[in-house]
Amino acid sequence: MSTGTPIAQQPAAPVRFRRNADRLTEGQLQTLRNAFQAVYEIDDDRGYGYFAGIHGLPLPISCENAHGTPYFLPWHRAYLYFFERALRDRDPNAGLVWWDWRVDSDRQPSLPNPYAKAKADGKANPLYSAKVTKLALEQGRRGGMQIGATTKREPGSPPELPSRDEVNEVLERKQFTDFSGALEGLHGRVHGWVGGHMGVIPFAAFDPVFWAHHTMIDRIWRLWQLRHPGALPPASLLDEALPPFRMTVRQTLSVSALGYDYAFATASSEVTVRR
Amino acid sequence: MTRFQSEPLDLPADRTDVQRADLVFYGVDHSGPTYEARIFLDNARANVDTPLTADERYAGSFTVFGHGGCFGGDDHCAPRDRYSDEFDRRPPHPLTPQTVAVTITDALERIQGEQVKVHVVIVLPEGMEKLSGSTAVAACERVRLATYA
Repeated sequence: MSTGTPIAQQPAAPVRFRRNADRLTEGQLQTLRNAFQAVYEIDDDRGYGYFAGIHGLPLPISCENAHGTPYFLPWHRAYLYFFERALRDRDPNAGLVWWDWRVDSDRQPSLPNPYAKAKADGKANPLYSAKVTKLALEQGRRGGMQIGATTKREPGSPPELPSRDEVNEVLERKQFTDFSGALEGLHGRVHGWVGGHMGVIPFAAFDPVFWAHHTMIDRIWRLWQLRHPGALPPASLLDEALPPFRMTVRQTLSVSALGYDYAFATASSEVTVRR
Repeated sequence: MTRFQSEPLDLPADRTDVQRADLVFYGVDHSGPTYEARIFLDNARANVDTPLTADERYAGSFTVFGHGGCFGGDDHCAPRDRYSDEFDRRPPHPLTPQTVAVTITDALERIQGEQVKVHVVIVLPEGMEKLSGSTAVAACERVRLATYA
């Protein structure tokens, strides 16, 4: 699907594609780095600290009803959507990318390349780590968590990253709640594998790789929707809000209505008329 | 003190059937202090001390509950700081200027001639200078006179 849901007042507009983090062109990667750097430099409710803090600390921890419940996928889809809008406010060409963390006999577990190196072009790589806000740190320490002011990872410790076969098995599940619960289990293993800040809910979203991980989760939900057309979250939840986001469960169901879809890689150009 | 005024607005040639008249202010600034906007017709001398009487061609007022200044970083309160497109589900920027309508039927009846000028005097509540991060009030963008038969 390459266009958004049309509305009466205008024709369907082309959607943006979220891309594989390891397949970005140099220009796409630079745009991503620049957008993250730009939101790091804002310390109000347009900036990175604000959005990272929605998931965890500082209080309130708004994702508390979004783990271990059928809200898991809709809430995080809304979360990604509003953060992507914030990135796009800094650079209209910026967008989220997905980390394909699946392993198999040909793929060893690893972080996506753009997020794995401390330096990029001789400067600090904005996708490698980020600062945690002061209030989040204070509240974390009040709760007994000794955690650094800059995000760190300890990848490779158990549990193992999910395999391609495990993801395929989850995609076969027909009921939304069954699928969502199984996918959330795989999701938690990725948090645990990355470790460090990513390993705990209050600080996970401060790590830039959080967004690539959850974009992969959102992509798997999209793939499941394509395989099981008409399969929906429970009807009783569809018109429930997803606080603090101004969006209901129902409004998260169509990625094309939200203006995006997933592509392995993309390339485009202007065209020239030849006579 | 802040004042702003309109260009001359044309009045209907025959006003005998006019039942109601509204002034509609577009692009009203609400980013700064809370303020009262006092409306006078054809009274360029009006100021904060002008009595609110028919003799002074006072027409009414509206009050803006102000945001109180900007508490974020550069351009935090600037609607232009957003990139938006057809897929943007966010509500409008909270400081998008407002539209305010004030009914001025009686005051307009007292105006003679073919045109009228609208003069607005901004009055800040006492102590607002200390309460608000900003006391600046930008003029509204446009004024429209609408009459109804």
